[in-house]
Amino acid sequence: MNYFNFITTGLLSLLLLTACNEEGILSLSERSVIYCAEGSPETFNPQLVTSGTTIDATSNQLYDRLISYQGDENKLSPALAKSWHVTRDGKKITFYLRKNVAFHHTDYFTPSRLLNADDVIFSFNRALDTEHPYHLVSGGNYPFFQNVGFSDLIDNIEKINDYTIRFHLSHADTSFLANLATDFMVILSAEYAAQLTKQKAKSDIDTHPIGTGPFKLKEYRVGSLIRFYRHEKYWREPAKIEQLVFDITPSNTGRLTKLLANECDVVAYPIAHEKITQRKDLSLEAVTALNVGYFGFNVSKAPFDNKLVRQAIRYAINKKTLLEAVYQGKAEMANSLLPKTSWAFDDSITEQEFNLVLAKKLLALAGYTEGFTMDLWAMPIQRPYNPNAITMAKLIQSDLNKINIKVNIISYEWNTFLQRLKRGEHHTFLLGWSADHPDPDNFFTPMLSCAAAHTGSNSTFWCNQEYDVIIKKALQTTNINQRKKYYAQAMAILTEEVPLIPIAHSKRYQARSNDVIGDILAPFGGINFYQVSKRKLTNKHTAAKQRSLDENPPARNTGVN
Amino acid sequence: MARDKIYLEEIFPSPFMQLWLIFRKTPVAMVGFSCFIFLIVLAIFGPLLAPHSPVEGQFDMLLLPPAWHVDGNVSYLLGTDELGRDMLSRLMYGTSLTFGLSFIVVIISLVIGVIIGSLSALTSGLKSSFLNHFLDVILSIPSLLLAIIIVAILGPGIDNTVWAVVLVLIPQFIHITRYAVKEESRKDYVLASRLDGASPFRILYYSIFPNITDRIMGQATLAQSAAILDIATLGFLGLGAQIPLPEWGATLANGLDLFYIAPWTVYLPGLAILFAVVATNLVGEGIRHALKLRKER
Amino acid sequence: MFVFTLRRLSLFIFTMLLLTLLSFSVNFLFPGEAIINLTGAINATPSQLVELNNAYQTHRNIFWQYLAYLSHIINGDLGLSMASQSDISAEIVNLLPATIELSLVALFIAMLIGIPLGFIAAIKHNKITDNLILSISMLGYSIPVFWLGLLAILTFSISLGWFPSAGQISLLFEIEPVTGIQFIDILLSDSPYKWQAFSDASTHIILPACVIAVTPATIFIRLARTSMIEVLDTSYIRAASAKGLTFQQIIFRHAIRNSLIKIIRHVGLQFANLVTIAMVTEVIFSWPGIGRWLIESIYQRDYTAIQSGLLVLSCFIFVVHILTDFIYAALNPLARGNKYGAR
Repeated sequence: MNYFNFITTGLLSLLLLTACNEEGILSLSERSVIYCAEGSPETFNPQLVTSGTTIDATSNQLYDRLISYQGDENKLSPALAKSWHVTRDGKKITFYLRKNVAFHHTDYFTPSRLLNADDVIFSFNRALDTEHPYHLVSGGNYPFFQNVGFSDLIDNIEKINDYTIRFHLSHADTSFLANLATDFMVILSAEYAAQLTKQKAKSDIDTHPIGTGPFKLKEYRVGSLIRFYRHEKYWREPAKIEQLVFDITPSNTGRLTKLLANECDVVAYPIAHEKITQRKDLSLEAVTALNVGYFGFNVSKAPFDNKLVRQAIRYAINKKTLLEAVYQGKAEMANSLLPKTSWAFDDSITEQEFNLVLAKKLLALAGYTEGFTMDLWAMPIQRPYNPNAITMAKLIQSDLNKINIKVNIISYEWNTFLQRLKRGEHHTFLLGWSADHPDPDNFFTPMLSCAAAHTGSNSTFWCNQEYDVIIKKALQTTNINQRKKYYAQAMAILTEEVPLIPIAHSKRYQARSNDVIGDILAPFGGINFYQVSKRKLTNKHTAAKQRSLDENPPARNTGVN
Repeated sequence: MARDKIYLEEIFPSPFMQLWLIFRKTPVAMVGFSCFIFLIVLAIFGPLLAPHSPVEGQFDMLLLPPAWHVDGNVSYLLGTDELGRDMLSRLMYGTSLTFGLSFIVVIISLVIGVIIGSLSALTSGLKSSFLNHFLDVILSIPSLLLAIIIVAILGPGIDNTVWAVVLVLIPQFIHITRYAVKEESRKDYVLASRLDGASPFRILYYSIFPNITDRIMGQATLAQSAAILDIATLGFLGLGAQIPLPEWGATLANGLDLFYIAPWTVYLPGLAILFAVVATNLVGEGIRHALKLRKER
Repeated sequence: MFVFTLRRLSLFIFTMLLLTLLSFSVNFLFPGEAIINLTGAINATPSQLVELNNAYQTHRNIFWQYLAYLSHIINGDLGLSMASQSDISAEIVNLLPATIELSLVALFIAMLIGIPLGFIAAIKHNKITDNLILSISMLGYSIPVFWLGLLAILTFSISLGWFPSAGQISLLFEIEPVTGIQFIDILLSDSPYKWQAFSDASTHIILPACVIAVTPATIFIRLARTSMIEVLDTSYIRAASAKGLTFQQIIFRHAIRNSLIKIIRHVGLQFANLVTIAMVTEVIFSWPGIGRWLIESIYQRDYTAIQSGLLVLSCFIFVVHILTDFIYAALNPLARGNKYGAR
């Protein structure tokens, strides 16, 4: 019958196609990297956010900063500024720009000039100057700039000539340069902004980005993929890969499956580490990140305005099981905000004991002998500081049940979660903080200062004048020992007041196929694909065969370790 | 059923009994039937028999494989999940949720559907035509899609899932009852009792219902297998049973993250769903087979 | 045929009215203000709100509001997504073809497997082959599709590495969406990797399409079996065999054709069923279709997207339904007398 002939021919031609096209696919995939990301970016301008997902997708791929961190010691090193100079009083800082920096050339913008001082001044003034024509575009919120108090700190930015600019500060600030090197301080194109003003499409500056980074945006499909092309005129060597694709896969299992099926080259926040390490063609990597996962209270709501209640809950949470069940014992227990690797870490702070008797006593003292009911908000997605907040919430639920506190677990989609948290609708919550730079201030100010309570990045709404004074003092001195003492005092206040209970400092994990070479992870800030290249692939079939051999080693069982 | 022995039917087994007599002779159907009874017993007594709590975990027993595995532990026969909760207990509790609820759902929608269906069979004209069109529209939308629509309106949760599935199943019962009643009323014995002056409701209750129970039963088994799958699918999609509830679909979704390191957390709930649906379908097959044989006699 | 068309047309209009009425009233059932649910304009300024209120006639009675809503729909304006603030009709235009493509391939596979197996079962009626096929088919429609999908990924993507586990095509290929149907777009594109893309897209669609096809295939088995048994029982077959035709001749020349017509009538209904299964499967295989999008909208409580998505999906299903009715009627004049839809 004709019908069947048709099908057979169809199938045969399909087979032939599959057979003869091996070579072409290989060459294309050799020149590209697919990264399975855990979420969609909110915007393409890192100035507007603090979310790690957005930073990962934008900062290091699309943009450059004046200065950046380099090497294992994370020294400040030149980037768009080839050098800089700080006056002795620490109030004037001059940057000398490179003269060979080209902006992206894309479908929507053709640059006519190289980077100059105007671009730098435009980028900073957009965030700092509330009168700036671009300030209110995309909402007018610049959380990092506000948290570190840049608008008070920076008096003005002076253009000395086309390639020299000077920051005038109102007072000396030891963390200023460190803050300038963070992922948020990207340089945008003033020429592009002028073009958009003419086209009356100002908000495109954050959705159709133009930067100087190693990759340029080719295509973005919301919730599905981001496609980057190499920036051929990058001021350093162009990137080694031609195409970088972010495959947005929020499901943990989905990402792991794509890794195991070789559909992703690199995967963010992998689960099931044992499974990955079993496979010889995949590798798991971790970087000691400066972060802290914590359990926070909304101190503006009763009964969490009572210090005794907060202390009682701290005694009732068994952190050891949390570390075991949620982090599989691979994280370090947090006793204070700072991880061990920070220079301001205070080893005199000891582990808080797990003591139900004491917890009940404190609760009785606070007048809650009968206990109470509360909501616990758990984040819906994986973050480096907390790989599984829902599981953690379930464990805390059963811990607190023992001191008669009934816990309802609540979780929203990630962006909704953050918005509602900002509005203070929660009782208690599980969240964390990843440092943007190595200076310890990056933990104290943005997480718990009164200013942060106003901008919403301090979701505990805890505001303590004594604490604020101490952390401000710590910023005004350059003497490391003196600063260390201030931070020790600040941490003592936190241990007494308990606005939040630090739980763990964890590593940031990533898994990749062994074909991908080059560093991607950094101890802080977002990932960076500039250095990445791909090993020449062997024949696909032999690779698959090899893999199936690897997967079924003769005498080992694929259960749990 | 005490009534006047006008007809000599009493010496014959009732249509329902006839069906059972044939049904009993089909071994496969009987296997399905005993599994079905087993599941009902489990749904009622499961919570009493379960060895552990389905919600509270043992934190020193995380991700224990099933007992037959080298690392298994006999007191956790089917292993544990990521919070050290016993899989066997979770599945037993889940029986009351997935299977038990689907059973209740079917009974509720059966009662409502049969009432509306038989009432509508007595109407005719414009109302009937409207109902026909309406049923056509509703029945052309697949049950799962309709359930998703209703849950989308009501919001996620196990109670809303139950209402959604009830609403979804009602039209099917209306349709079959209406059709069966209309067909039956054309028969002579109904005419006879109508000529005797029986009221429509009396005819419906005494003459028609006993003769259509078997067909409604057949539809009920179909509805039940759809209900199990719908509840489990909604649970799997996170639209049904919420976090700690050990509903089978939700348990399976919970195991997804562990699929590659603890595959039993995905295999077992899936097998449980499959088992329940196969058992239900075997019973349904048996009933339909018996119906056919009875007709052929 | 004219009367038939008229009847179907009235049914179609009736249904569309019912569906739009349903999706219109749903806006009042969802939490929040109806006008916001309707348009998705959550960030609207007061002046924009006034404009919207005018456009949707909210100051007049409910009938006029419904008419205003209807005119917006007819003009293709389904509002903005509350979650992403993007135009919903544009999104649906992108997503629906992917679902149609997947469903069509699955339908094709289901018919290709189901119908011949059903015929074989009918020919070997009440023999071991028959029972075997029936048992397999029962297992097939008892299996939860999401579980089957997971097992398929584990076996064919991970262990064997034959097929990819997610998506419509490898993301490395850039295909300009023109029709939305991936295969046609690939053929239309001028990418140098056209044929690689084509074969890559084929390997991507096989696994999800097969998973979707399982349940409909089992139903086709039953339909084909029943209709073949009926046909074999008819007098014209007996006449043919009395004339001395061989069994094979009877089957291929007469029986298959006549029983196929009866099956076509059910294809429409099965297609609806298949689209629902596809929704769940899309979630598991991360297929960029309307089902996954709709389920995600439910998670995010994106009411505008939910109501428009449901409207479009049910309209689509109904249109397919009516189309198959027409095809059936064209093939089988006897059916034109039926008063109501096929069921």
